[in-house]
Amino acid sequence: MDVSVTDLAVTKNGRTILQVPGLRFPRGSTTAIFGPNGAGKTTLLRTIAGLERVERGEVRVGGLPAGREPLARGLVGMAFQKAMFLRGSVRRNLDLALRLRKVPALERRTRLEEAAAECGIASLLERPARELSGGEAQRVNLARVLGLRAPVTLLDEPLAGVDRIARTQFLSELPGVLARFPATTILVTHDREEAFRLADRLVVLIDGQVRAAGIKGFVYAHPPDRATAELLGYTAVVVDGRVLAIPPGSLRVGNGPLPFMVEVERVIDMGNHLHVLGTVGEQRVDFRLPSRVAPPEEGSTLRVHAGADAVMLDG
Amino acid sequence: MGDAVRLLLNADAELFGIVARTLVISSVATLLAMLVGIPIGYALARGRFRGRTMVLSAVNTGMGMPPIVIGLLVWLLLSRSGPFGSLGLIYTREAMVLAQFLIATPLVVGFTAASIQSLPPELPDLLYSLGAGRLRRLWIIAGEAQLGLLAAIMAGFGAVISEVGASMTVGGNLRGSTRVLTTAIVTETGRGNLSFALALGVMLLALAFAVNILLTRIQQRQRG
Repeated sequence: MDVSVTDLAVTKNGRTILQVPGLRFPRGSTTAIFGPNGAGKTTLLRTIAGLERVERGEVRVGGLPAGREPLARGLVGMAFQKAMFLRGSVRRNLDLALRLRKVPALERRTRLEEAAAECGIASLLERPARELSGGEAQRVNLARVLGLRAPVTLLDEPLAGVDRIARTQFLSELPGVLARFPATTILVTHDREEAFRLADRLVVLIDGQVRAAGIKGFVYAHPPDRATAELLGYTAVVVDGRVLAIPPGSLRVGNGPLPFMVEVERVIDMGNHLHVLGTVGEQRVDFRLPSRVAPPEEGSTLRVHAGADAVMLDG
Repeated sequence: MGDAVRLLLNADAELFGIVARTLVISSVATLLAMLVGIPIGYALARGRFRGRTMVLSAVNTGMGMPPIVIGLLVWLLLSRSGPFGSLGLIYTREAMVLAQFLIATPLVVGFTAASIQSLPPELPDLLYSLGAGRLRRLWIIAGEAQLGLLAAIMAGFGAVISEVGASMTVGGNLRGSTRVLTTAIVTETGRGNLSFALALGVMLLALAFAVNILLTRIQQRQRG
């Protein structure tokens, strides 16, 4: 089911915090709304869920205006960033969500157990929902929304509050879990790795404005400005008065097109490579060198150039 | 003490009348305070409006307001020369209910606001997104906040059943009409009838304890 945003403006306390001229989330796609904290990502997700009052414009879910009609609300399931539960067991919480969606009793049980098995929480069903660890709570949060089998699934920072070890495991399982519950999935994250591993499309949101949107490979290869490039992991340096956005691992030592000088600050032997930290003017850069080469001296100047995948930006 | 026990065992109609009147007046006042105080407490907890902090401060002040001050205010309003004197409510049970309602309401509002504020702020949005209508949302939220809501009711009832100043001022402690346990204790103590005063004190404690046992059982049964 398609989700479309048209000429949207959301205002809070007299300040426009989100302005989106147009955006489309194609049916069956998984899109990551990606941006720094405070960019308006959650506001955009909440607007699609019909939870925000819009100043102007509209969001349509499957052609229906989001939020206003119960019918449109029934098409969308949302997992909030903070996994909230009512008193009682995990089973009671999952069951209540399905009851509120008016799912018949027999089907509730099937759906509940299927979602629990897929999200790896079958053993937690009788546990008090408010006594779960961060990782368990986010899995239950996910199971609750996936069990709804809504045509549109919204996930707000699905790995928030999950410790590092559990996160690695959860992140590796998530694409498979999402694939088994076909929907138009829109997730919010401030983490680049999550965005790229979970989604096939990206929407880059900075200061309430969409800076880039589309297939993730295309968005990555064509950052429109410096802020977007840096958010996507590029290192931006000013060379001959122009901004050069260099993707990770793209700096090479020696002459090449658009060479520039790096002041070497630190060289760290990482075992299989050397990690060089330096500066180009005011901008900090870091790059790798093979461990077999002689390490550059700290305080020396090194001539480097960017690979062909670097992008020249206008400003 | 022996006399007090004997009086309790051979309780007469007057004593039962005082107990029943106390229970009815304080229960009605608490019920009205719940009807008014719980929605206000919810609105204060969830609402974002200008002057909210001022209102909360006023409620918190009201929670510690001496009952005699409220009694005095109600007396000024309802006395023959007051703005509502023509209603003829002074020295009636209705006047006592009004005074007790004003004592209990800030307590119910304050406890309700605190218990609702302790819930996740996005809980209503979660329920809305799941399709719960307004009444269903309120019902579920009340269920989640029930420990605090029952504490609000207990605080309100405890305050009004044990207060004496307001009931004495606006009720007048009229025998067979507005005499309740607390005002009767004052009267009997003044008369030097200490055994009867003690028996009334025991009845008051027993009554408050019985109501609180009931509410606490409801409160703790559904904890989880």
